[in-house]
Amino acid sequence: MKKLADLKKIREKAQEEMKLRGSNVRIKIVVGMGTSGIAMGAREVMKTFLEEIANRNLTDVIVTQTGEKGLSSMEPVVDLIEEGKAKVTYGNMTPEKVKKVVVEHIVNGRVVCDYVVATGE
Amino acid sequence: MQDISLHLLDIIENSVRAEARRIKVRVKANVQKNLLRVIVEDDGVGMDAYTVQQAQDPFYTSKLERIKKVGLGIPLFKQNAELSNGSFKMASEPGFGTVLTVDFQLDHIDRMPLGNLKDTLLGVIIGHPEVDFYICLIYSERGKEQSFHLDTAAIKEELGDIPLTYPDVIEYIDQSLNEGIQNTNMEDV
Repeated sequence: MKKLADLKKIREKAQEEMKLRGSNVRIKIVVGMGTSGIAMGAREVMKTFLEEIANRNLTDVIVTQTGEKGLSSMEPVVDLIEEGKAKVTYGNMTPEKVKKVVVEHIVNGRVVCDYVVATGE
Repeated sequence: MQDISLHLLDIIENSVRAEARRIKVRVKANVQKNLLRVIVEDDGVGMDAYTVQQAQDPFYTSKLERIKKVGLGIPLFKQNAELSNGSFKMASEPGFGTVLTVDFQLDHIDRMPLGNLKDTLLGVIIGHPEVDFYICLIYSERGKEQSFHLDTAAIKEELGDIPLTYPDVIEYIDQSLNEGIQNTNMEDV
């Protein structure tokens, strides 16, 4: 059984790491989790991002969920917000596309143009 | 929506949008009573009696018409509950919050499966770090009861300033939920 005490170890480890490389959030991922997004598989998209973050040990990325905002025909929709750069919106996402976005965009810093449906703001 | 866990995700997102700080999610399966009950309770902005009625209408939405014209989340959940000899109740008070109680006849042929509860809960917990979630799963059969409780407020207190998206934390919450769901037989409900 998982115990709260296990978290103490995780916290100590994380704090050590933050001393070394700072606690900056480099990229914020926002997964659209409205009714149409969920119906089109947004939960799998969210899950794949979380798996990739855990597997690749990405400590400077955060993921959040948000509601619908009028791109229902392109759901699941994901925003990638990077400090000092224009927001990139990916559409019609699938777990496979998420893996590619993680490798190309988040790890290597190259926008995956084929999946982009909007930019800016 | 293919299963109850997807509806649950949708309904929890409503609570988050209603500015809830704390959301309680309870799933109870009772074999003797032949009942599967899902309760979502939030401390969000709440609704007046008229809005509660309106929210069950598929052509009502709280968003601007420029953005979308329909609001299908609640009506679809309600329909699916009623199709399996269940019920859908929504109680709300402006300024206090909303409680949603959705019942299904456990062995009804048209009842949708519970689905992947873990993915729903993991997503909302990590995707909304500003909201505290209290999760409670109870499975009872022949007088025996198995239950699982998870309070993310305690987890966050323990973590201090470490974000929930920290890789080891994702794994911790993922495993906790998995154990809880297995221990309460909620995988194949």
